[in-house]
Amino acid sequence: MAVSANAPAAGSGVPATTPAATESGDLGAPLYIAWQVTNECNLACLHCIEESGPGKAFHDELNDEQVFRVLEQTMDLEVPYLSFSGGEPMVHPRFFDMVEYVCGRNGQLKIETNGHYLTPENCARLKELGVKAVQVSLDGASRETFNRMRVRGDFDLALQGVRNLHAAGVPIEINYSPTSFNVHEIGIAVDLAAELGAYSFYTGRTMYTGNAVKTWHRMAPSEEQYGPFFEVLHAKVDEYRGRMRVYFHEMGLLEELRYRLHHPAALLIVLPNGLVKLINALPFVCGDLRRQSLAEIWGHFQRAWQDPRVAKFVDDLAQDPRKTATLHQWVHL
Amino acid sequence: MKLAKYVKFREEKFGGVLFETRSEKVYTLNPTATAVVREIQSGSAEADIPARLKQRFNDEGKAIEQEAAAFIAELRQKGLVED
Repeated sequence: MAVSANAPAAGSGVPATTPAATESGDLGAPLYIAWQVTNECNLACLHCIEESGPGKAFHDELNDEQVFRVLEQTMDLEVPYLSFSGGEPMVHPRFFDMVEYVCGRNGQLKIETNGHYLTPENCARLKELGVKAVQVSLDGASRETFNRMRVRGDFDLALQGVRNLHAAGVPIEINYSPTSFNVHEIGIAVDLAAELGAYSFYTGRTMYTGNAVKTWHRMAPSEEQYGPFFEVLHAKVDEYRGRMRVYFHEMGLLEELRYRLHHPAALLIVLPNGLVKLINALPFVCGDLRRQSLAEIWGHFQRAWQDPRVAKFVDDLAQDPRKTATLHQWVHL
Repeated sequence: MKLAKYVKFREEKFGGVLFETRSEKVYTLNPTATAVVREIQSGSAEADIPARLKQRFNDEGKAIEQEAAAFIAELRQKGLVED
């Protein structure tokens, strides 16, 4: 009796999809808002798709009043799931107030962090406020690889942060970005995530955009490296089945975008300045939360995906994969 | 019986959606399934829900009752509800 929105059929089982796979056309609001709350970051990672780093906050990031107005609209529209990322979300001066607001209105919130601010006190606070999960980036299973990739980063500090989360009882997810110099550690990294008490492990292909454009020649994994990388992951899915979800995107960006053209996901990407993107891997902006309501932007979202410039960009990407280097040159639809 | 800790529900024009945020799975519901979830949220006893839906949908046969019972069993099996 529970059915797909587009294909009602009484008596069928309950089909499950993910927010990214749930088509947005019939929904009254997004199912997921991924909010980059600031572009400021304490680290300057080689692969950062947002070009975040120390002193990299946008000059026009949302002010406090705008931030809380957006949060209020999000909760009023019953968006069930939000994530705060960045930059590093925990350096935002109102970070805990924002978390408190969302959790206080029964929203399910995930924090995506580099783990360097996960002190025992902060972890206890996150537990008390009731965040759904904290996702920590651990790109490497050793000091050598992690610190090389996460410029200014400290593997031991991030590791301790994850341990502090576990001690506080906060659900943990681990994210891993592959590079030419950490790709061989994937098996150990998955094992480490399980040992640290994570319930999910995410990875996928590193994207050619942001800081990676400048560092690609010294950090991009080759196709020869990706082969065994994904083989190990397939094996780890089976090894950890029922204990930890090992989740990875093997599909290339182009295939993903071609699918999205016809099946826009029910999620919005909110940038630190309130601009709303169709999807992270495209430069297209479909709204501005400083001037428009979330409901208005959602109303425009489907039409924006049908703009011929979007399909053309994806077609061009097939000819020139390096077009992703222009993702930060926003195109307003 | 209530929705499990990580399950969120929202009504839609076509019915509703259940979102299990831990596994990040989304379940789209038709109007009858939506009515079941609404009953769960309002605190109706599990045993009463099929009969309440039968009455609500003016169903003279057993189809709604049976579907409701099957759906509740499925919600349990998928861990979307808890006691």
